[in-house]
Amino acid sequence: MNFNFINLQPYSNPQYFIYLLIALIPMVIGLYFGKRLKIYEAIFSLVFIFLIFDGTHWQQGVNIILYLIYEFIITFVYLRYRTKKNSPNKTWIFCLAVILAILPLTAVKVLTAMPVGTVPFVVGFLGISYITFKNVQVIMETRDGAIKEIDPGTYARFLLFFPTISSGPIDRYRRFKKDFDKAPSREDYITDLQYAVRYLFQGFLYKFILGWFFGTYWLPKITQAALTVGNANGGLKLSWWVLAYMYCYSMYLFFDFAGYSLFAVSISYFMGIHTPMNFNMPFISKNIKDFWNRWHMTLSFWFRDYIYMRFTFFAMKKKLFKSRIRLSQVSYFLLFLIMGFWHGLTWYYIVYGLYHAMAICINDSWLRFKRKHKKQIPSNKFTKWLAIFITFNVVCFSFLIFSGFLSQLWFGWQ
Amino acid sequence: MSNKRRLWQIFGPVICAFILLLVVFLFPWERTFSKTSIFQAANSQTTTVFKGVKMKQEAYDDGYVPFYGSSELSRMDPLHPSVIADKYDRNYRPFLLGGPGSQSLSQFVGMQGTSKQLKDKKAVVIISPQWFTKEGQDPQAFDLYYSPLQTAMFLLNAKDNVADRYAAKRIASMPTVKNGIIKSCLKKVAAGKKLSGWDRFVLQNRMRMLANEDNFFSSFQMRDRVDKIHQKEKLLPDTYSEAALHKVADEQAEMHTNSNNLGIDNTFYRTRLPKKVLKKLKGSQRHFNYVKSPEYADFQLMLNQFAKQHTNVLFIIPPINAKWAKYTGLSQKMYQESVAKMEKQLTSQGFENIADLSKDGGKKYFMEDTIHLGWNGWVAVDNAVKPFMSQPNRRYTYDIDNYYYSEKWQNKTDVKPLNLSNKDSLKKK
Repeated sequence: MNFNFINLQPYSNPQYFIYLLIALIPMVIGLYFGKRLKIYEAIFSLVFIFLIFDGTHWQQGVNIILYLIYEFIITFVYLRYRTKKNSPNKTWIFCLAVILAILPLTAVKVLTAMPVGTVPFVVGFLGISYITFKNVQVIMETRDGAIKEIDPGTYARFLLFFPTISSGPIDRYRRFKKDFDKAPSREDYITDLQYAVRYLFQGFLYKFILGWFFGTYWLPKITQAALTVGNANGGLKLSWWVLAYMYCYSMYLFFDFAGYSLFAVSISYFMGIHTPMNFNMPFISKNIKDFWNRWHMTLSFWFRDYIYMRFTFFAMKKKLFKSRIRLSQVSYFLLFLIMGFWHGLTWYYIVYGLYHAMAICINDSWLRFKRKHKKQIPSNKFTKWLAIFITFNVVCFSFLIFSGFLSQLWFGWQ
Repeated sequence: MSNKRRLWQIFGPVICAFILLLVVFLFPWERTFSKTSIFQAANSQTTTVFKGVKMKQEAYDDGYVPFYGSSELSRMDPLHPSVIADKYDRNYRPFLLGGPGSQSLSQFVGMQGTSKQLKDKKAVVIISPQWFTKEGQDPQAFDLYYSPLQTAMFLLNAKDNVADRYAAKRIASMPTVKNGIIKSCLKKVAAGKKLSGWDRFVLQNRMRMLANEDNFFSSFQMRDRVDKIHQKEKLLPDTYSEAALHKVADEQAEMHTNSNNLGIDNTFYRTRLPKKVLKKLKGSQRHFNYVKSPEYADFQLMLNQFAKQHTNVLFIIPPINAKWAKYTGLSQKMYQESVAKMEKQLTSQGFENIADLSKDGGKKYFMEDTIHLGWNGWVAVDNAVKPFMSQPNRRYTYDIDNYYYSEKWQNKTDVKPLNLSNKDSLKKK
């Protein structure tokens, strides 16, 4: 087959936005006049999704179609079970539904960890994690009874909502449906446009300028220097370059991902959908808990609501732990360990998870200590900045682990 | 506030930004570079300089001579051509073009922007037989050196002939060249079709944008080796003599290769050839073959470009470190066969300035490491470069033969070695 497909990966370069914004114009005009052009919107989304998964990415395209059929079956079978009269609402059926729903993602994570060349087919597709998160959330809320009916069309649009398909932010079904079912008033929509434009340009600044400087301009130079000096030094191969790498990578990670998230939110706002923000100045966090309320927020809230809380309630009901402190510590470890595994089955992602769990437990005990000794411990401008400084460095160190650079430095692979 | 006014406040700045952007992209900006930044560019081997046009153009107008090559150019010991030229204030300065993996096809694309500047002038090419592998141009390396700007220039000048069709086909086959106006025009040229007026219009605007990008940014992230060159110059004797250069070469080389008995630079040996790697490499190159390769046809593109420019070219064919070749099992017989084939291709078309160093890999301190010239090797290069540069510039004409694009030539073996010293017998054989 020698057919030339145009393949466009979302937000990958500035030209992409030109195509995207031109395609958005009818929708924007529609919303300005109080009409949500649902059919046009569906065609628009399908075309741009098609452009992600066509050409050389066609195997991913097949995967996403199979995946959607599979998830739809699970969700709607479970919904039927839960909404039929006098539903027994058995826990094991709920667990089964969740396990089945995350099965494809788990398989992808395991298969991509296999040595290169041992898996003879293309695994997963761009954004499988984020669709799975949305899906699991719907199953959980169905179990709670918070979701009583699901409109298949809206559900498909929710899962495949184009601006957020590749890497979030992770929206919630009920919130999405509320936006989607109405067209905003003209005043509100103009405010949306105002934010959309602002986020778009902020995203350009973040991803294409700052992210580029940190990630494309400086990072390779620092990597090279750190490897050369490290190899010359021997031992643990540490040098000041590793520290430079840590800060540079942290900045790159933030500006690249925050920039991407701003694009996703901006395009959503153009479409009159208030996709939640993902970042809220994470580097001024005063402690680790604060950090997780500001960094990749939709993901951490998802983990909080659907893993941490669920597990805590479950453990309290079953009285698994005597002390509340112990309970919360175990829950944190569970949360961050799962998050680590989700990032990928390599040692540094798992260590990253454990490191954050440890940091948050230490932070908790410090806060308890502080509460007890309120009078002895000073609290002023200086201590506030000290807290920010410490948190920043703890976080940057976690990103150094996360980057896999240490693995490259020590073992030669990443 | 009225809705209309709010809309203006939101989109007004956006519209202004777009207009400004178009102006900045499409306005024919002019700029000149300072002498120091040209000197820095000439020695930086940075890919943006390689891919760009403006700095090279200015440099060639100002006494710089392109040294097309690859990774050996970065072996900056005191005998490196750039150091010698600067120290003895020669009538030329080398402009180093290439790095690891910059094979003939990348070089050919990189030559497109300076054909006017090199008309009837000089150039030096250091050929690496390592380019001439079964696959030829490494697509990943091509990605590093690919210049859309100069490809657009090539397309706007392309004719419907064997050379341009072949070049277009080769460039289009590289995975780096993605969909877009350049790819579609390459395909047209390769198929012998004419570009439409619209194609040319879009290409011209694309070229203008890329040229501006080159103007603004190519001096932006250069590797700075100026201090390094000045430091190395201090090691050279103040008055030039070949014997004195050899003396410096021997002293420096002895000091820098004392960690191993392969004659390899200590740093290279330590960082690139740790025990594990070294062990793996033993006997690993027994099956290397540089005789059959699409590179011969890509190389012909370079020659054709020189012929079009009537450029006087000096070709340097370096050897392999003999001890290293023995260790890895690389066949010297095969190496000489490939050299003979290159020389045949050159001489039969009238390229007669060849410094064949390919048999000198066993000479003391001739190589800096495994396959890269250094110390005494650079002195040998200078012995060829010096007289070459003292010749006056004039128009050279060549007899280009399209046979060298054919697969028959690419796969030809058993090319008889030539006696380079007998110049009369070289042509038309």
